[in-house]
Amino acid sequence: MRDCQISRRWQEVERLRGERNVVANKMKGKLERSERQRLIEEGKNLKEGLAALEEDLVELTDKLQQEAQSIPNMTHPDVPIGGEDCSVLRRMVGSPREFSFPVKDHLQLGKGLDLFDFDAAAEVSGSKFYYLKNEAVMLEMALINWTLSEVTKRGYTPLTTPEIVRSSVIEKCGFQPRGANTQVYSIEGSDQCLIGTAEIPVGGIHMDSILASSTLPLKYVAYSHCFRTEAGAAGTATRGLYRVHQFSKVEMFILCRPEDSDTYHEELIGIEEDLFSSLGLHFRTLDMASGDLGAPAYRKFDVEAWMPGLERYGEISSASNCTDYQSRRLGIRFRPSSEISTGPKKGKTNIPTQFVHTLNATACAVPRMVICLLENFQKEDGSVIIPEPLIPFMGGLDLIRPKSK
Amino acid sequence: MGLPCGFGASTLQTLKLVAIPSSFSMLRPCISKTLSLHSYHHFQRSSLPFLSRALSATALQSTSIANEDEKVVKPQWRAAIDFKWIRDNKDSVAANIKNRNSNADLELVLELYERLSNLQKEVERLRGERNVVANKMKGKLERSERQRLIEEGKNLKEGLAALEEDLVELTDKLQQEAQSIPNMTHPDVPIGGEDCSVLRRMVGSPREFSFPVKDHLQLGKGLDLFDFDAAAEVSGSKFYYLKNEAVMLEMALINWTLSEVTKRGYTPLTTPEIVRSSVIEKCGFQPRGANTQVYSIEGSDQCLIGTAEIPVGGIHMDSILASSTLPLKYVAYSHCFRTEAGAAGTATRGLYRVHQFSKVEMFILCRPEDSDTYHEELIGIEEDLFSSLGLHFRTLDMASGDLGAPAYRKFDVEAWMPGLERYGEISSASNCTDYQSRRLGIRFRPSSEISTGPKKGKTNIPTQFVHTLNATACAVPRMVICLLENFQKEDGSVIIPEPLIPFMGGLDLIRPKSK
Repeated sequence: MRDCQISRRWQEVERLRGERNVVANKMKGKLERSERQRLIEEGKNLKEGLAALEEDLVELTDKLQQEAQSIPNMTHPDVPIGGEDCSVLRRMVGSPREFSFPVKDHLQLGKGLDLFDFDAAAEVSGSKFYYLKNEAVMLEMALINWTLSEVTKRGYTPLTTPEIVRSSVIEKCGFQPRGANTQVYSIEGSDQCLIGTAEIPVGGIHMDSILASSTLPLKYVAYSHCFRTEAGAAGTATRGLYRVHQFSKVEMFILCRPEDSDTYHEELIGIEEDLFSSLGLHFRTLDMASGDLGAPAYRKFDVEAWMPGLERYGEISSASNCTDYQSRRLGIRFRPSSEISTGPKKGKTNIPTQFVHTLNATACAVPRMVICLLENFQKEDGSVIIPEPLIPFMGGLDLIRPKSK
Repeated sequence: MGLPCGFGASTLQTLKLVAIPSSFSMLRPCISKTLSLHSYHHFQRSSLPFLSRALSATALQSTSIANEDEKVVKPQWRAAIDFKWIRDNKDSVAANIKNRNSNADLELVLELYERLSNLQKEVERLRGERNVVANKMKGKLERSERQRLIEEGKNLKEGLAALEEDLVELTDKLQQEAQSIPNMTHPDVPIGGEDCSVLRRMVGSPREFSFPVKDHLQLGKGLDLFDFDAAAEVSGSKFYYLKNEAVMLEMALINWTLSEVTKRGYTPLTTPEIVRSSVIEKCGFQPRGANTQVYSIEGSDQCLIGTAEIPVGGIHMDSILASSTLPLKYVAYSHCFRTEAGAAGTATRGLYRVHQFSKVEMFILCRPEDSDTYHEELIGIEEDLFSSLGLHFRTLDMASGDLGAPAYRKFDVEAWMPGLERYGEISSASNCTDYQSRRLGIRFRPSSEISTGPKKGKTNIPTQFVHTLNATACAVPRMVICLLENFQKEDGSVIIPEPLIPFMGGLDLIRPKSK
């Protein structure tokens, strides 16, 4: 309806402009004094009327934007319709390990191995903050280094990113920095905010650009710290490292041609499943139901790994195909290449630009991975086995042993 | 019991505690300062100390004094400052303040402390009298006598309540003033401004190039290592993306540094990067001053850290450590955020001055008699690290005018940056003695084998404040500048120093990318 209002206004504006031009032209010729006076009057009325209409146009356009921006992305035809419980199992890898002794959760293991300090962090910063200590620091670095290495090998460009960004960039990616229960920390006295994921600064790299088709796909793997208020997240799933305000994450991001995004979505989930398999984790991949997709996602695959201490599956990663939702907001276009020029003008200028498709996927969210590794690879005496791929990144350490007190 | 009347009702009015502009001299303190007093219509006191008499005489002058500092927020916490020591050593404290170019007002602090002491005595005295009255009331009394005592007790109670409020206000004011007194200074520290800093050590010499030297930005462009332009759009100026081998270089520097320092017995940590602003203040920084270096979080008392020194300093806040646990040595990796407000001029290009960076920081808590030794240990570790990377650098003993308020002594390392054609600071090692620990409340109980008093065991021995030290093991962007500029080849490629090669997955050279 707003759209109609805008169209009508545009037509009216065009009409008035036309009339104003007619009057302006008439005034160029030789005229009787009274005729000139009448035309001046008419010109003035037209000018005021136009100014008012143009103001309306701006207001209406703003209002239209505000409303339309909240229309979610379309949905892939294979996505199950419904709430969270309608999500469909795509793949199951491994099975829950059988323990011959009572299982400890990551907090108990961490205590015995002197790996975390939540209490000191609560005093210094508040709840849901933590220090990592000793081998946990090595484990975090090993996970980040190994993940960056593995994904870079597959042709992704490694990046580190700003963790403070303008709030407009966050909005363009489809998040709501200033809503109630926002996940986003804002900086006082500024339009800047802390990122909750590297998806945001990476999405912003090519803002307001036209990319040459030959550069696509652009594949990035970005390491950053992430900050989330976790406002509104209550209940059981908040203990220890499971839900924290600050964490390290390695994120994959792709910009590609529209016809390729389904393929790259499969590539991303494939990389994730390879990474988690090689660490020896037991996990399942879900095709998330329509009620559980964020506004930007056309389709979303979540990976949930088995966490024996929590006695359930916990989300360790998410891979989304956002098609053109983010690129329309970030202004990221490409010019398709063409070998044949059919029109009178040769060269690239006939071919209109299109919006790229963007995809993002978690390669490694460190705290959730630490939970998985500690809880799954614990031994009866409270020590923890380091999965083979990480050993070289741990300086050769293959076992975390309890400290003698 | 009659109390001589010290005040006439007309001289008593609500007076606001005001700050003294530093131009006022010690000789006229009571004319310009007033205490907040409540009306004492029925309150009668015996001979009042100098403090209160002077107040009554000057009550009427209070309103004309401008309240410059009233808008400063009352401190939310108390530093355990040794006022007696300051009073007993006021000459050296005053000289130190001068040498440090500090704005601290020592005279005001001493005067406030004097008034506070006197007020405390007065409060104690009144409490004594109230107890006497209370005791008397327990016995059998004539009705009129009881009535009189009740009246007296009531007056004392009101008077006490008012004085106790004054006590709180005075204590706050004293805290506010005293907290800005800088730490004392090591006797060997050169007195003066930045140019008086003394060279402690020079390692290596500037490399001679047989070709025109590129700076890190040109090298980065040729090697596709940075993006400042995209970051300016997304975040603002002084932000950046690292790309390709620069990411590997950052990770290699962090991993190698953590590994090297952990080998030397330091406990590795990662820390929160959002902390309560009070913790930042206790470490000696000013999160909410004008030109503050500190980013604040909207709608919260939290801020972003500018260095891991802050969250690590906070770990043992308000604790008493066993002497046997000392020294505690930490090496902490964190991202750091700085507004760089007020930093203008040439030294801001590229990676030299940025809002966000990775840093590995060393932090020690130790016994007071050991801090000089550990200061030497820290600067020794830094010099080892930078030497093994093949850098040319100099270590300076910073002059008194260039020490921050917390530092007793500070060594800065400046490395040669051929692209900038000068030395640039890459690290700093400070001995903060008990400045931070008095604010953070970190004490230890010295152990003793002999118990000399009637009570055996540890309780006789009073706690002392630990000494804290901090030192930069690796500030990544400055190190990247050094490595790129010093190890460049004529074709724009960059040699990786040997210790980092294993941490770069075996890569020993960063080559220009073919476009």
